[in-house]
Amino acid sequence: TAVAPRSWRLFGAMCLLRLPRVTQPLEKEEEEMAALMGQIELEKSHYSDYEIRKLGEEELLRKRKESMYDDDEAPGKTVIMAQDLEEKWEQKFLQFEAAPRITDADKNNNRTSLNRKLDSNLMLLVKQKIGNQEQWLLPQVEWQPGETLRSTAERAMATFLGDHIQAKILGNAPYGIYKYKFPRAIRTEDNVGAKVFFFKAFLQSSDLSQTELKEDYLWVTKDELGDYLKSEYLKKVNRFLLD
Amino acid sequence: MSLQSVSPHALCSFSFLSSCSPQTVPFRGSHWQTSLLAFRASLPVRAQPKKKKKVDVKREQAQKDRMKKKIKKLEKAAPEMIPIEDFVTPLKYSDSNRVRSLPPLSYEETERRVLLMKKWCLFKQKQDKAEKQAIRSLLEAQQEALKELRLESEELYQAAIRRDEGLFPFERDGPNYTPPLPGYDPPEGKCVDITKVYTQ
Repeated sequence: TAVAPRSWRLFGAMCLLRLPRVTQPLEKEEEEMAALMGQIELEKSHYSDYEIRKLGEEELLRKRKESMYDDDEAPGKTVIMAQDLEEKWEQKFLQFEAAPRITDADKNNNRTSLNRKLDSNLMLLVKQKIGNQEQWLLPQVEWQPGETLRSTAERAMATFLGDHIQAKILGNAPYGIYKYKFPRAIRTEDNVGAKVFFFKAFLQSSDLSQTELKEDYLWVTKDELGDYLKSEYLKKVNRFLLD
Repeated sequence: MSLQSVSPHALCSFSFLSSCSPQTVPFRGSHWQTSLLAFRASLPVRAQPKKKKKVDVKREQAQKDRMKKKIKKLEKAAPEMIPIEDFVTPLKYSDSNRVRSLPPLSYEETERRVLLMKKWCLFKQKQDKAEKQAIRSLLEAQQEALKELRLESEELYQAAIRRDEGLFPFERDGPNYTPPLPGYDPPEGKCVDITKVYTQ
């Protein structure tokens, strides 16, 4: 069976997402609501065992203060008060230092590092040569006959990040398409333009120290895409990106 | 045979003293009996011999039937319901001393709460709309891509709409409040599970 010559060249591109590692800060309404919910829960609740113990101890202390010369059983007997426990816990908590939510990479605005913007999605952009221009694009590679588009996208990922990348590709179907016609100079009968099919994947491995990226690469959030991508391309890409 | 020849002499005197009529002289019932104790094939016993076999068999069978009936009755009874522990309030929490004593809410506070609820309602509605719009645009983009792919080649399209078996079950650890601390050594401990397990 003769295969009709294709007029459009096919490319498979991979949109690799690093999922957020840290929760996003709450909005103003959300914070107010959370506080209100806490208050309502407190009002509707009963005393817990710990609170009853605390109240009992407060009563004891008050009674002891009022009747100063009333010696209870053994003043040397050390009873651990709930207040002391709380202070101990507080001290322990202050000694612990958690990792910062805003990392150094954030402060330096180092866009090549994966540790930036831990509360949002980061995607990979690479500088590729299209025609005779170097452009920032999602990593793409031309489709070879005999492979599915998904494997093209996987190949694109492997060429830029190496074979040992662990990513979960979300399904066999493409998420978006960008169609463009070649400029009249190189346009021929069977080379009208190109169709770039986008696939989405989640990055599983957290460190990419083993990979050697040959060309320039960047990890950017959805808002920063506008700094690098062309407007038409950006419009198509934004359609399949959830923030 | 040799044993028989030795023992009668030793036990002869016994049988004289222990038998019911000491006056009777032991004699052979017939010339086929070589010794006195051959009459009794076993050693002398005092207890009554057991009852006949038929009554035992009947009694045992009756016992077995009774047991089977009991087992059937137990099995027919409906299985006990397993209590849901979340729905049963333990009695110690319904004590009156547990009730919290707080000052009643002021008018401003109730007003503030009502207004906040309304603002929250609006906020959530906008959020939901935005989410649904995002999902809609996602679907549209995918449909467009598939349409274009179909125009290009049928086999690629078929490969694209095939189900991805390796995708589900999809597991992922959610985001935490702070990123993981490198080189953190968590304190050791043992977790003992004390949940009550019910069997029906």
